[in-house]
Amino acid sequence: MILVWGSPADPPVAAVLDALDDLSADVELLDDATVPALAYDLVVGPRPSGWLELGDRQVDLDEITAVYLRPGEQPRSGTPTSAALLAVLGSLPATVVNRPAAGRSNLAKPFQLAALAAAGLAIPDTLVTTDPGAARDFLARHRRIVYKSISGVRSVVASINAGDPAGVERLDRLGHGPVQLQQWIDGTDVRVHVVGDRWFATSITAEATDYRYASDGTAPPELAPCDLPDDLGRRLVDVSHGMGLLVSGVDLRRTADESWCCFEINPSPGFTYYEGHTGQPIAGAIAALLTGPVIGAAAPRTARTWWSDDAAPPVPRTGVP
Amino acid sequence: MIVVLGSRHDSVAVNLVGRWPSAALCSAEDLTRPGWAWAVSASGGRGSWVVDGSVVPDEEVTGVFVRRGTVHAEELTSTHPDDRAYLAAEAHAFLVHVLASTRAVVANPVDDGGALGEAALRPEHWMAAAEAAGIAVAPLRVRSTGGDRPPEAAIEVELVGADVLGAAPPTFMDAARTVGGWLGLQWAVLTFDDVGRLSAITTTPAPTPDAAARLGELLSSARAA
Repeated sequence: MILVWGSPADPPVAAVLDALDDLSADVELLDDATVPALAYDLVVGPRPSGWLELGDRQVDLDEITAVYLRPGEQPRSGTPTSAALLAVLGSLPATVVNRPAAGRSNLAKPFQLAALAAAGLAIPDTLVTTDPGAARDFLARHRRIVYKSISGVRSVVASINAGDPAGVERLDRLGHGPVQLQQWIDGTDVRVHVVGDRWFATSITAEATDYRYASDGTAPPELAPCDLPDDLGRRLVDVSHGMGLLVSGVDLRRTADESWCCFEINPSPGFTYYEGHTGQPIAGAIAALLTGPVIGAAAPRTARTWWSDDAAPPVPRTGVP
Repeated sequence: MIVVLGSRHDSVAVNLVGRWPSAALCSAEDLTRPGWAWAVSASGGRGSWVVDGSVVPDEEVTGVFVRRGTVHAEELTSTHPDDRAYLAAEAHAFLVHVLASTRAVVANPVDDGGALGEAALRPEHWMAAAEAAGIAVAPLRVRSTGGDRPPEAAIEVELVGADVLGAAPPTFMDAARTVGGWLGLQWAVLTFDDVGRLSAITTTPAPTPDAAARLGELLSSARAA
């Protein structure tokens, strides 16, 4: 049985449900709205056990072969249940897209970016600072920079040019909280959705600095399927799996000299936006992954920094057999 | 210098700062002051901290004791109320990066998912590590009708670096050392139930005086190369 947790009104959840229906899969939906009143009796541990009640069906954890997790934010009354469920479902010996612990690095973008660099991907020069002087030096070095949020809270990416006095002046107002600054990378945005061992690359041509918010008088972005070099595609699969992610959305930029710069890996991508523009069968691939052979849990993640005094930057663990 | 990451309202943090020579408190407010600068790279960063209002190069920080799992919006009293939640999330994410980048000894380091403090000790996390290390764990039952009472602690030991403190048979000492190594812990309290299963790992209590003394030595010792 495949468990899908989310809101049926959420496009990716709806798309995965539709794709699973096309495969006549045995599916149960755990609707976000029902979580606060959910009945369950679960044992947290290396081998989770117990049951939860979905509608009029009592589902034993042993029945679950795969899970698609895209829960929304819960009201306070649903928080304890949500925490217990995430702990248990994230530990199941089942195909879990994605285990919650695997996606948490996306909540600290510079931390994730360092991990991507350690895995061998090119990243933009990045500074996180509260220091106006350091920010000015960074702008002087790169001439054009962007600033963006550090956490998982969405913000509009904006750019500053060294020749723009108002932009430069904005850096002087730093000092009230940390800001992430990155060198501007000229090129074409490419979103790659990794699904198991497959990948789907979409190029995005846009006038806006942040194509997700291109409605302010700029032309809408144009999305199209594009080719990705095989070695890069395989590397993105390896990096995603190394982070414990079976499905991910990787944000890249392809430069004029055909080099690739990686900005982040999204552990819960809103893939339907790209699928809707390109016709790439991403939901179908996710459904195939969920109905395929079980991919068990990764080895336990041990705590460490990405670099230590006695070890080279680690190769990401292969969490997927 | 030892940096204690915590709140002025946390008596454990304040007492440790008073106990350890060359220790200072880095509060949530410090995270919003000018002076921080950390690059992002695969080889770790060189950066600067703001500790108790002063800018401190990372080279001067020998150890960091983490007494917080997150940055709370309510702590940012000098920030406009409308901006506190956003800034707290940003400051927390920044802190994760700093702790992962510093060359100082960190008790305890962020896990490789980016969790810190008690948040890095979720049961499903440490239970899997303990199991992989061959250590029996006490299951944790959670029900919609209410959770079971946690088992009474039969044996409690304190881990400091590679040392284990407390009155316990050697098997428990070894188990604590092993699971601490798996999790990369520099300090924690480990509890075993009456049949010898590991039932809890926490960093919430205050270190005992003996542990605090050893922690002080550990965190003021030479930095990583």
